[in-house]
Amino acid sequence: MTTTTINGRVESLPDDPDVLLIDIVRDQLKLTGTKLVCGAGVCGACTVLVDGAAVASCLMPAQAAAGKAVTTVEGIGAAQLHPVQKAFMAHDALQCGFCTPGFIVEATAFCDQWRATKGMAVPSCEEIGAALSGHLCRCGAYDGIFRAVADACAGRFDGDNVAAPRIEARDKVTGAAKYTVDINHDGQLEGLILRSRDAHARITVLDLAPARALPGVAAVSLLGDDRIVRYVGDPIAAVAARDRKSALAALAAIKVSSEKLPAVVGLDAGRKDGAPVVFDKASRKRAGNVSEAAGGPAPWKQNIRGPTAVFSTRAKKARSWVDEARQANNRLLVEATFRTATQQHACLEPHAAVARFDGDRLTLHASTQQVFHLREQIAKRYKIDHDKVRVIADHVGGGFGSKASLGTETIAAIELAREAKAPVRVAYDRQEELSVAGYRPAAELKVALLASDQGGLKALSVTAHADTGAATNSTIAGLARLIYPAEAKDLSDFDVISNLPPGAAFRGPGGPPMAFAVEQSIDEAALRLKVDPIALRKRWDPDPNRQRLYDWASGLDIWRNRKPQQNGRYRRGIGMAAGYWLYLWQPNVKVEVAVKGGRIVASTATQDIGTGTRSVLADTIAREFDLEPSDIDVRIGDSSLPEGPGSGGSRVTASVMPPTLQAVRKLKAAILEQATRKPAPGSNAPWRELIARSPDIAVTEARGEDGKNTAPGIRSPLREVGLMGMVFGWMMRRFSNIAVGAGVPSSVQVIEVEVDTWLGHVRVLNVHTGIAVGKIASPALARSQACGAVIQGLGYALYEARELDPNSGDVLTAGMEDYRIPGIADTPEINVHFDEAGFDHVLGNSVGIGEASTVPTSAAVANAIYDAIGVRLTEIPIRPDRIVAALKGRTAA
Amino acid sequence: MSVATAEVITAPEFRAAGTDLSERRRSGLSCGSIIDLTASPDTIGIAWSTDGAARVGALTAIAAIASDARLAQAYPGITAAAQGLATPQIRHMATIGGNLAQRSRCWYFRNPQIACLKKGGSDCPARSGNHLYHVAFDLGPCVAPHPSTMAMALLAYDAKVTTDTRSGLSISDLLGDGSNGTADNLLASGERIERIELPAPLAGERALYKRAISRSYAEWPLVEICVRAVVTGGIFQQVHITAGGIAPVPLRLAASEAVLQGKPANAATIAQAAELATSGAKPLPMAGYKLELLTGLVRDVVERIAV
Repeated sequence: MTTTTINGRVESLPDDPDVLLIDIVRDQLKLTGTKLVCGAGVCGACTVLVDGAAVASCLMPAQAAAGKAVTTVEGIGAAQLHPVQKAFMAHDALQCGFCTPGFIVEATAFCDQWRATKGMAVPSCEEIGAALSGHLCRCGAYDGIFRAVADACAGRFDGDNVAAPRIEARDKVTGAAKYTVDINHDGQLEGLILRSRDAHARITVLDLAPARALPGVAAVSLLGDDRIVRYVGDPIAAVAARDRKSALAALAAIKVSSEKLPAVVGLDAGRKDGAPVVFDKASRKRAGNVSEAAGGPAPWKQNIRGPTAVFSTRAKKARSWVDEARQANNRLLVEATFRTATQQHACLEPHAAVARFDGDRLTLHASTQQVFHLREQIAKRYKIDHDKVRVIADHVGGGFGSKASLGTETIAAIELAREAKAPVRVAYDRQEELSVAGYRPAAELKVALLASDQGGLKALSVTAHADTGAATNSTIAGLARLIYPAEAKDLSDFDVISNLPPGAAFRGPGGPPMAFAVEQSIDEAALRLKVDPIALRKRWDPDPNRQRLYDWASGLDIWRNRKPQQNGRYRRGIGMAAGYWLYLWQPNVKVEVAVKGGRIVASTATQDIGTGTRSVLADTIAREFDLEPSDIDVRIGDSSLPEGPGSGGSRVTASVMPPTLQAVRKLKAAILEQATRKPAPGSNAPWRELIARSPDIAVTEARGEDGKNTAPGIRSPLREVGLMGMVFGWMMRRFSNIAVGAGVPSSVQVIEVEVDTWLGHVRVLNVHTGIAVGKIASPALARSQACGAVIQGLGYALYEARELDPNSGDVLTAGMEDYRIPGIADTPEINVHFDEAGFDHVLGNSVGIGEASTVPTSAAVANAIYDAIGVRLTEIPIRPDRIVAALKGRTAA
Repeated sequence: MSVATAEVITAPEFRAAGTDLSERRRSGLSCGSIIDLTASPDTIGIAWSTDGAARVGALTAIAAIASDARLAQAYPGITAAAQGLATPQIRHMATIGGNLAQRSRCWYFRNPQIACLKKGGSDCPARSGNHLYHVAFDLGPCVAPHPSTMAMALLAYDAKVTTDTRSGLSISDLLGDGSNGTADNLLASGERIERIELPAPLAGERALYKRAISRSYAEWPLVEICVRAVVTGGIFQQVHITAGGIAPVPLRLAASEAVLQGKPANAATIAQAAELATSGAKPLPMAGYKLELLTGLVRDVVERIAV
């Protein structure tokens, strides 16, 4: 038997040639800081050092480490944090933290080598980008990573200074943070899902007996009553066995026969007359949902659901004005068709659940954006008493909207655990994650925008067809109602259903595609009206939050010093765009703030998917008591705590801050009332003294309604839409437990690009993102969110697209090599501006930042590219093939 | 995981560092036995003969090649190619022999549920399906570009490959001409690459390598080229231009080479060479853009060689 040394300890290596180094590290030694993400050496989450060199442990045969020294993240800073770890903490160079251990391992090796050869010199962004080019971060923490690595190399973190704006940062930089995929109960089984090979079929035979006959194997059916599978990858059954290899054998043992049904794949085929119908009337309830809230009624014929046109106003008028203008060749009519691509969430932690029954009590660890609501869904589905279900999510490796439902991974884990009478883990592999785990649907948007001769906005027409797969409820065009008031608007949304996996909500769902089309059309109108694009938006968009952002943007040097169009190979251009998302909050949210054992403890059943919820709570409470955030214990990620919000719709901050502040006020009063001794006169930490001496007291407060003290011009956007808006708002609250508040969280971005006209490459040089989401609760973390939002938006604009086989419906981009998310070297310089006014009517004055901050990016990039090369790119992602085709006046494939 | 109608490879496979094979094992694409290659002095490291020619063992890591100072002096195109491929972590592990012998990166080939020519299937699903990243020189039944960046660079250097049974194989001998769609190379079953022999560099020769991709790093090339030449007195001599990402095998751009040979290094000649780079191209419908990228790359790199 051969051995290797891991973190200084000699470990034996098995002879099995298929065992990889990551298997030894994670499974044999339970060193779960090393993460398995892509399984292909692309993302770097599994990086370890072997004899000092960074390698991908997901590809390295275990035997190849024989006689060598392996260092995992747990071996770095075990005794004392490495300067790189301290720098990552200080610069908040992380969000969900799932990629962080890999970055830390590589960056420490880089830093140590740099220091050995170059002393205290500061590496450039180019050098850091090249060194870390084998790592991907889906949250987009790259801006902080650049600063952290540079400062660590420069020796700025050699001392004992350990400060972190994110309170769980230490756990994330040391690999100690446990995610759902890291949970390992005694006797835990590994679950796998059997999925359809066909895009459309009826399962005639499903025989689980041969699988169940294998030793230690449990198997359950996942088929619906109609036994129809509607996309490649639709779940059929699930098995659990002692390890992945045995589970694979069990999957292979299942007998399945199916009768193929005619299938239809994609937006164009789905719209054709006579295309095979995916959902007949009886099965329509099985369709997934691509929005953050439940949808209203809509016409539904064959595969086309729509139009949903409730946000239109004087639609007929809009249509007739557009028709007249078209016939008159009116130059002030801007018409274009835009296409956006399917964007995968690509969370680095896959969808995962670990179910364990203790008698009739279920404990579920889940990678979820909604611990509380998931518990309710499980209790209802399985008719288990609420109190007997507990959902736990200490850390969640990204969600972005894809982990906001009761998913197949959870259903399979629960049902397998029940049958096997043993804990079961189900974790999607990367192929599942990038095919069946949800996506922002591709869309085709037809826009007609008519300016009046007086320079006003007369009519806006947007018709959106969304490629929703086996799902419905896309709202893209409708979002164009809440920005740029016009005399008439004709806004229609259609879902085009086909035999593709169901889409899901994705960060500001229909916002980015709407902005990509409408913001380019506004720019085109500005060009024709010969008006500065920001000035035109100031004229056409009265929203007070954005008005302030327009003033900020138009004052930027980069905007004021724009240059005329260039020739030559490399051409630079500057573009801008505006975006918004609704201010949403969740009624019934409760936060408990308590003194327990002389410390402040805040509890609510929400979760942190990388957005920084723990720190928002800790920072807010610390400010009130004049304490340090580290003095506050924050308990979240557990459904047994008071009802907390789901992490979707940018609603967490606005849902938890008000009850937290109310609870703090009451708690302060209670502490003072019960205090036997007042603080020493002149004490500089009166609350610290009082809390330390206080008996245990707990105060729980619920999220109340907002105040009426709105600033001028701030209203509920739905009120402006009139009766239909009010109905929509009522439905959101009644059926989705989401309230729409007054005021519109907004973002305005100015972006500079450089286009290489020979190689079709677009380099984003500078991004200025102005954000109005009220008072910033945790500035460093808000900055991280703002930068991450831009980086995800750049991915949407330039790189990301799901590619399919048009015939079979197979997702071809089911690996991280082919589904391309931005890397660190693609990160521009990002300048963040927070405008903190506008939400005085919200207790704490803060609303969510996550979605508003990503909406305008793709449009601003496209406008900048137009400024650079004089050609409008109407389709994203704007890849090299599309740039070179556009320059030649050709349509790309 | 899907219902097993799996299209998989059951033949035994050699394993060097495993950076390609491990992924195919995990996905279930490869399920035959593994034969681990172990290094001997002859198959690892860089050796030099007295005439200045280098011999590179097949099991030499890409990172070792990328960081070898003498190699960079003598064969800058090899060094640049080694520095430009994959990611730092992969380069630390992967070997030059493995890079030459790796399997196709086609997204149909890599899907264990889809049949294709390289897995015993009867046709190429990419040809009739989605071939966005496939060939612009349609030379055979399989339309996946060859994935080996090192092969493309070695072709520019007229390198020879020695296996355990044969020696003096050119890159074309090793990889074929693209007409055989069932394999990624022409190694016999059980034949393994042992070393690569580079001819001694020419006096004053230079070389550059560049790939066109959508992001900054870590992406399979849409198109990549290696240009090697001697420029004396402003005249191009000994021009070698090879390209990858565009055909089932790395290509020599003979028409571009010919038009530069013996001509002055000026903008007009370079533009002509760039235009001729696409001679003989037959792009698949979705891959036509690769020709513009190829033209752009040749112009870019030859211009920089000329300076």
